Amino acid sequence: MAEDTLIEARNIYKIFGDKAVHDGIDLNVKRGEILTLMGGSGSGKSVLLRMFIGLEKPTRGKIFYNGQCISDMTEEQLVSVRKKVAYVFQYGALFDSFTVFENLAYPLREHTTLSESEISDKVAETLQKVGLDGTQESLPSDLSGGMQRRVGVARSIIMNPEVILYDEPTTGLDPYNTKQILKIITQLKEQGVTSVLVTHDMASIFSVTDRVAFLRGGKIRSLGNVNEIQSSNDPVLQGFISGEMM
Amino acid sequence: MERAKAFISLTRHRWVGAVVDFFEFIGGAMSLIYQTVRSLFKPPFYFGLFIEQLFSLGVKSLSLTTITAISTGMVMSLQFGIGLERFGGKLYVPKIVGLSIMRELGPVLTCLMLAGRVGAGIAAEIGSMNVTQQIDAIRALGTDPIKKVVIPRVLAMIILAPLLTALADITGILGGMVLSWGELNIHPEFYFHEAISSLTTSDFSVGIAKTFFFGLIISVTACYYGLNTKGGTQGVGQSTTRAVVTSCILITIFDFILTKVFMMLFERGFSG
Repeated sequence: MAEDTLIEARNIYKIFGDKAVHDGIDLNVKRGEILTLMGGSGSGKSVLLRMFIGLEKPTRGKIFYNGQCISDMTEEQLVSVRKKVAYVFQYGALFDSFTVFENLAYPLREHTTLSESEISDKVAETLQKVGLDGTQESLPSDLSGGMQRRVGVARSIIMNPEVILYDEPTTGLDPYNTKQILKIITQLKEQGVTSVLVTHDMASIFSVTDRVAFLRGGKIRSLGNVNEIQSSNDPVLQGFISGEMM
Repeated sequence: MERAKAFISLTRHRWVGAVVDFFEFIGGAMSLIYQTVRSLFKPPFYFGLFIEQLFSLGVKSLSLTTITAISTGMVMSLQFGIGLERFGGKLYVPKIVGLSIMRELGPVLTCLMLAGRVGAGIAAEIGSMNVTQQIDAIRALGTDPIKKVVIPRVLAMIILAPLLTALADITGILGGMVLSWGELNIHPEFYFHEAISSLTTSDFSVGIAKTFFFGLIISVTACYYGLNTKGGTQGVGQSTTRAVVTSCILITIFDFILTKVFMMLFERGFSG
């Protein structure tokens, strides 16, 4: 494994029933970069992302995080990985019976020995980072979709993770909320956080991402920086980017 | 002919599907019980969540189980009173009502009510959490859904089912007493004395012992279907229905099995 590699997917196969979603994927995520996974619906982007945190196991192949094989780990062993790798769910996946404060305090109460006043300060500070200070007592249902998504991001970054995995972070958001999310992703990169994004929203993501991996037919069809992807001669890739092909 | 063949094929397909679903459920429920027991003694312990479930599942079910028990006691007194009066056996009403409520109707009806109210609630809640990825979020945040979601509910139900049943037994007998006094002219003191004197400790304990298992059946079935919910709101509805139907069927089947087993263990005289 190369020294700057933080996550490595090695020869990944994933089969659901009689459908092969991944057919031998090899991919490295470099420390500190923003990597975007793109591809059509059902191409297995989200499944691959879920494998990076152990929410999904490959049928064959291995996933390494920081040199440790996480695809063979039990749920108990994965706890230490999940303290360093955060996952932002497509619709936030906030606990709907909890307030915003309780949602953000959840990982702190579980994994730290901070006092309630320290937790309260940390929650306020994190909400400020995502532009949602003052929403502590709101329930997720009181917030707009974009705000919920930002609370989801806040809950993921509150433990200062090394890696953040974003599943469709900007899909369906208005331009303001999209800009806010992209701003957070960029700021986190400046702090050295590695990000992996799954998205269809290429126009906005191209402005922040370092590299793009294009999934097609269960494999990585193209991998490169934004310029390489945009200037690629691959008609399938160009068809996908221009929206003429799924 | 073709339509008949198609019907037979579809019916067979459904039966095969139902059998596969049944074995899938048995395997899944056993695995869930195993995981629950394995996680039960490992820290962290969420005592607060357990207390919360005791309140939310127990206190809120109290009125339902009590009303059911009172109505059952009353209707049994009425039916047996009218029926036995023809043969001059009206005074046996307290004994019959007491025995049948304590041994059978109290435990079974209470737990069927709990399967409807609590089982549906648990399956719908966990199912909704599953389809909105909240269960995944619990895992992604480094915590265990078995500890956070399943254990508090299973433990609460194992404790609540006997408690609510004991209360239902008492209120059921009291309901019968009120009805007997008002409709059958049986004095409450006589009713109470007759009902209690005909009961033995094993009548009470066999009835209550069954409800530990019923509590386990209700909670594990509901958690299993909730955790395996797929397909949005429609899936939540299906899981809820399956949880209630499966719990009710299992309660009636296990009622017979457990009654027979407990009789063999504690009341050998019955087995001849």
